[in-house]
Amino acid sequence: MKKLHIYIRRLFHLSAREVGLMVHNPIYICCMVVFPLVVILFFTSLMSEGQPEKLPCGVVDNDNTSMTRAMIRQLDAFQSTHVAGHYNSVAEAREAIQRNEIYAFLYIPEGTTARLISKRQPKVSFYYSNVTLVAGSMLFKDLKTVTTLSSAAVGSAKLQMLGKTPSEIRDFIQPIALDVHMVGNPWMNYNVYLSSIMVPGILILFMFLITAYSIGTELKFGRAHGWMAMADGNIFIALTGKLLPQTLIFLSIFLGYEWYVYGYLDFPHPGGLHMILLLAALTVFSSQGFGVFAFGLMPSLRMSMSVCSLWAVVGFSACGATFPLFAMDGMIEALAQIIPLRHYYMIYQICIFNGYPLIDAWLNVVALVAFAALPILVTRNIKRAMVEYVYIP
Amino acid sequence: MSEEKSSHTPIKKAGSGILGFLSSLCYIWWLETKSTIKDEGVLIFFILVPLAYPLLYSWIYNNEVVREVPVAIVDLSHSASSREFIRDFDASPDVHAAYYCNSLREAQGLAGKQAVHGVLYFPEDFDRTLNRGDQAHVGVYCDMSLMLTYKAIYQSALAVSLKMGEERQKPRSFSFTERDEELNTEPLSVDAQPIFNTTGGYGNAVLPGVLILILQQTLLLGIGLSAGTARENNRFQDLVPIGRHYDGIMKIVLGKSSCYFMVYCVMSAYITMAVPYFFSFTMLARPSDLFWLLLPYLLAVIFFGMTLSCMVRYRENVMLLVVFTSVPFLFLTGVSWPQSNIPGIWQGFSWLIPSTFGVRGYLRISSMGGSIDDILPEIRGLWIQAVVYFVTTCFVYRYQIISARKHAIAHYQMIQNSIRSAREKRADGK
Repeated sequence: MKKLHIYIRRLFHLSAREVGLMVHNPIYICCMVVFPLVVILFFTSLMSEGQPEKLPCGVVDNDNTSMTRAMIRQLDAFQSTHVAGHYNSVAEAREAIQRNEIYAFLYIPEGTTARLISKRQPKVSFYYSNVTLVAGSMLFKDLKTVTTLSSAAVGSAKLQMLGKTPSEIRDFIQPIALDVHMVGNPWMNYNVYLSSIMVPGILILFMFLITAYSIGTELKFGRAHGWMAMADGNIFIALTGKLLPQTLIFLSIFLGYEWYVYGYLDFPHPGGLHMILLLAALTVFSSQGFGVFAFGLMPSLRMSMSVCSLWAVVGFSACGATFPLFAMDGMIEALAQIIPLRHYYMIYQICIFNGYPLIDAWLNVVALVAFAALPILVTRNIKRAMVEYVYIP
Repeated sequence: MSEEKSSHTPIKKAGSGILGFLSSLCYIWWLETKSTIKDEGVLIFFILVPLAYPLLYSWIYNNEVVREVPVAIVDLSHSASSREFIRDFDASPDVHAAYYCNSLREAQGLAGKQAVHGVLYFPEDFDRTLNRGDQAHVGVYCDMSLMLTYKAIYQSALAVSLKMGEERQKPRSFSFTERDEELNTEPLSVDAQPIFNTTGGYGNAVLPGVLILILQQTLLLGIGLSAGTARENNRFQDLVPIGRHYDGIMKIVLGKSSCYFMVYCVMSAYITMAVPYFFSFTMLARPSDLFWLLLPYLLAVIFFGMTLSCMVRYRENVMLLVVFTSVPFLFLTGVSWPQSNIPGIWQGFSWLIPSTFGVRGYLRISSMGGSIDDILPEIRGLWIQAVVYFVTTCFVYRYQIISARKHAIAHYQMIQNSIRSAREKRADGK
């Protein structure tokens, strides 16, 4: 009982010391509070439209009849398309794409209407650039719809003339219709899709780096002996006391982020509050665990921080949120399992975004717990480093 | 130029005229190059990361497109027409009918276990409705946590439904010949052509941006790291040491930047020419266009980095300041979220960053086969950045030289004072 009391007092003193260090080094406040907030605001405000609207699209209308103009007006009326320019030829329109003025264009050759009326099957084309994938596929969808509708309008007029009812016409023109259910994100909101992985990714990056940095600077500024003395040589007490204030700050930032996106911006979260809280705790603990582990493995400030940054940055691609993991090479698929962000993404999308039970993501939960437990393997190494090593730049 | 002259006067010059200037410049260049090679950290960021990272990223995105996305089928119709739909769907390159389920709930369970990324649902009356001449419905349920799998499932299902619908229309379209059928079902023929990045590959869309960004971020890290080291090795924690070669801003700025420029000429050639060749990415740029884009880009990044490096107090801090910016900078270039839809305030902020113009210009000449005339606005932006950041670098170094000198003078005076007081003490003692 008395021993426990001593431990708690030591922990308290170590935490107080850490808070003192953090207050005096502005880099901590920047990386733990200021930058994360900026990043959260950056991503959510950048994509606040949800889905890109009014993407510039060009038109080459060599026919210029009331029918083609109606078609262009219809295209312009789509939410994601904006007819930004009329061009005289395909070559001009292509140059406009190369100058990044438009992402796609519709080409209507001369005589289209005449051939359409006289039943000689004219051909219209549209060209879209996939260099910006989102813009390309959005415009593809609108251009495809508008051309299909124009084609169907001819059949519809003819059937109307024959005295068919509107529902008969619909049934004839589209015998099989798709009921598309975009489960979880029916607006196809890119803010929901991208912000909920990019922002945590950067928060994890900061947790990695700050953890490694704060332990490494003990060596660098020659405070290591004092630190160990305060913990009476017990590395567990030393680490816990040091990381506790950071854990609390990271946890509040992460919960603040979650409140902002789920509570304020109302991103879909059918998984509920308990999953959100669980994921926050898992993420913070596993990231700190990884940071400690990286330092313990290579007790050099620079090397551990380099490893942490490389790990976190590769995570953005290898987590499989943008390009699916199962489409990557087998080796990368295996490698992705040792990246915490991958498991964060899996738990997030299975349990929070789609609302499936936690058991479906048990493997990922175990993985994050394992990351959090990694420091156990290297505590001896860290202690030795603190007692024996000297900082080499 | 005026600050250069004023800073020349107080300290003894290294040599006279242009020859001395050049010798100092070369000396600083030599020191910087030496420290680049000797310093493990700088070496990692200048050489290792630019060499290895592009390969890793290219490997990640090498498959370009998503094929065979697993989909669960819930066929309550069990009819010839539903099976025809499923067969055609399964035969599409992008999707794969992986599981057959008896209810939507069963399929949902599979989606939760990540075994499938979407569900196709045929209601019990699918065949009946279709053959009765009414509109039949197919339910498509997509997991929206991955846009690319959604796109694959939706587009495949749409293509199959349109094709099958057309076949159903033909016998009922009052046609006499096959040509008549074609004309009646497709009065207006439509040709959809992807004009650039024709495969719709993810790697081809994202990687050029990442590659150019890697050049910038590693340069910022390397320059910051070397500035941090210089500061830490300095007695007064100044960026600029006191020495006979360090008496002119131009010498220091040009000497250091020429070292970075030298290393990055090689790196940028490797990243923009060798890497796309290894992984056969689209590369339509002409060498001269590439040169005229990369020259101002490298200069802008180097001076941008040298301006920022004054903020680095300890060498490791630079990682905390630079690494996290990579993702926001990539988004600001418009590679992921379209450039036309970036809000004004971020649009303005993005003009401060060299990678914004660098990536946009590079994408246009390498992926779209544009020429130097098509990217003139970007090139102008880069040159403006290069000049502005060069001037700010000069100011920063001017400030550093002055503070270094102040520290040295203060130190010198302190020593003199202590000597004087010691002498006085001794005199008093006698």
